[in-house]
Amino acid sequence: MSQTISLAGIRQLIGQWLGQGKRVAGPIRVNADTILYQNLTSAEALLLDGCVHPGNSIKEFVMPPHEKLYEYVVKGRDVELRNQEAFPPERLILGGRPCDAAALPILDHIFNWDFVDAAYNQRRQALTIVSLACTRQDDACFCTSVGLAPDAVQGSDALLVPLGNDEYEVRCQTPKGEALFAGKCTPSDRQGSVPAGPAKQFDAKQVEALITSQFEAPVWREQALACLGCGACAYGCPTCHCFDIVDEGHAGGGIRARNWDACQFPLFTLHASGHNPRQGQASRQRQRVYHKFHIYPEKFKEYLCTGCGNCVRRCPAGLGLLSVLTAIQQAGAAAPAAKGEEAKQP
Amino acid sequence: MLEQKLRQTCRELLANGTVKVIIGYGAAPAGQATRAVFITTPEGVEQLVWNDRCEANLVAYLKRPEVRALGKPAIVVKACDERALVVLQQEAQLERANVFVIGMACDGIGAPREAKCRSCEDQVPRFCDVVLGEVTKPADAASARWDELAEFMKKSPEERMAYWQQELARCVKCYACRQVCPLCYCQRCIVDKNRPTVISTSPSLKGNFAWHVTRAFHLAARCAGCDACTRACPVGINLRLLNQSMAKATEENFQCRPGTDPQAQPLIGNYATGDKEEFIR
Ligand code: SF4
Ligand code: SF4
Ligand code: SF4
Ligand code: SF4
Repeated sequence: MSQTISLAGIRQLIGQWLGQGKRVAGPIRVNADTILYQNLTSAEALLLDGCVHPGNSIKEFVMPPHEKLYEYVVKGRDVELRNQEAFPPERLILGGRPCDAAALPILDHIFNWDFVDAAYNQRRQALTIVSLACTRQDDACFCTSVGLAPDAVQGSDALLVPLGNDEYEVRCQTPKGEALFAGKCTPSDRQGSVPAGPAKQFDAKQVEALITSQFEAPVWREQALACLGCGACAYGCPTCHCFDIVDEGHAGGGIRARNWDACQFPLFTLHASGHNPRQGQASRQRQRVYHKFHIYPEKFKEYLCTGCGNCVRRCPAGLGLLSVLTAIQQAGAAAPAAKGEEAKQP
Repeated sequence: MLEQKLRQTCRELLANGTVKVIIGYGAAPAGQATRAVFITTPEGVEQLVWNDRCEANLVAYLKRPEVRALGKPAIVVKACDERALVVLQQEAQLERANVFVIGMACDGIGAPREAKCRSCEDQVPRFCDVVLGEVTKPADAASARWDELAEFMKKSPEERMAYWQQELARCVKCYACRQVCPLCYCQRCIVDKNRPTVISTSPSLKGNFAWHVTRAFHLAARCAGCDACTRACPVGINLRLLNQSMAKATEENFQCRPGTDPQAQPLIGNYATGDKEEFIR
């Protein structure tokens, strides 16, 4: 026995949420060439399957590119702090891709392992995420190489599996998901299924072993030559989570804000002294791969990459993790020289 | 075939020691257009490709320290890319004799052809050391160069403001537009200055307007119109419109079409007694 819902039913659900003043986000078309996850202003705007993957990721809704943390007012010798909106409105994300949803448990670990990040957690708790299983893929997709699949349920409160003719099987995963769809579905005996997804492109375990033993390998330099050092890959990545804290205002007061930042910018590691420990784009590229396939996995026993392929799609220089990892694997197969010493110092 | 001719030219340049590295287009992994390749051996030239997906403006790589370290380059350019190279030359950013420039006669990129190509006035680079191929598909109408902008300018100022508010709200300040630009070569971009901060670094509407207005003005009379920034923007902001409004203003008021005259003084650094503004004379 399964539960199903029609696209019309989904739109009705969105309408209800919007009507209650809650927020709903999902893929929408912003112009002829671009589909992004954005807040919906109407139920009709939702574009469930207009593309393989929207140009951004749903991390924006738990970790916005620009987030006011608090305001400060300087009063004589004192500083008064004023907190920003304490509780973000409830938000529903509809049509998130499974590789985006799977990034949320990862971000949960990041924002809770030492410092419990209130701003993140409040947004996160206010979120209900309904993902859509993928029926197609493009050359950038590689979820299967990092242990996920087009119908992965990690991070989703419910998963929609297309049945054709604008009908979807609803697979609730959490009480939030069940509450959302309670009374909205039709019992059915139809079971959705999706194709197996992209063929495995690399062996993640092998890549992990290789990058730790190949810290100084020329492949990093070769791969990074074409990289122009922007933030397009990291900012579109559902798992990249680095930020910068800035004060903006004047002598009398202002705001403290958290803005996205990325390891591909030279400024990211520039010390006040003028010294930059990560000289050159090769060491910055290497850092991104290291963080995803060695540093983070070492601590959290999972990869910091869901194979969504956004870094591939968005790179203006035609790079992205997929080709870099494939090149590393090839280089490693050709010359498995161990350089264990430096490997401890990424 | 043009691709073979390109490879042959590059093979010779490397073999006879004219250059140390070829900066050209190579095949990208499936699904992507092409990507820059850096060829240092005569055998390596087999990687070079030439097709309508040779989108990037490779001149941007001339500013990268890693690329400079490879030694004297030969670079593959289209006519629009070459204009950026000429501006760099005018601004004393490169010693022309230290770069071998391979110009490709260009039928336009993208399928369908990009807007800039449909109205391209050049197609054949002019100041290269060698030009390969010939144009087989002339641009539709060079006179249509300002059509898109003219259409946009028909809107009221309020509508235009609303448009930019909506569009720039999406900017996340990834700076892909800056990084792909051959003419954004500042050692430290004004948006990266933080002692003190000049332009707020936040991707908020205020910070985004500050960034985009600054960017447009810093590229006025310099932008080559290669549209690399517009192609790079992951959130689909049509930066071309901003660039074009600057280009049209400088062309109409100062007869300056960037990158078409290596001998000309850069407009911004040029003092002309014939200036129509009183205050400057
Ligand atoms: S590294 Fe690339 S493929 Fe992996 S999650 Fe990030 S954007 Fe997606
Ligand atoms: S890999 Fe591509 S997207 Fe990432 S920093 Fe380099 S040029 Fe930008
Ligand atoms: S603008 Fe002209 S030179 Fe540049 S790619 Fe298009 S047709 Fe070629
Ligand atoms: S590429 Fe687009 S999103 Fe990135 S900084 Fe430029 S305009 Fe903003």
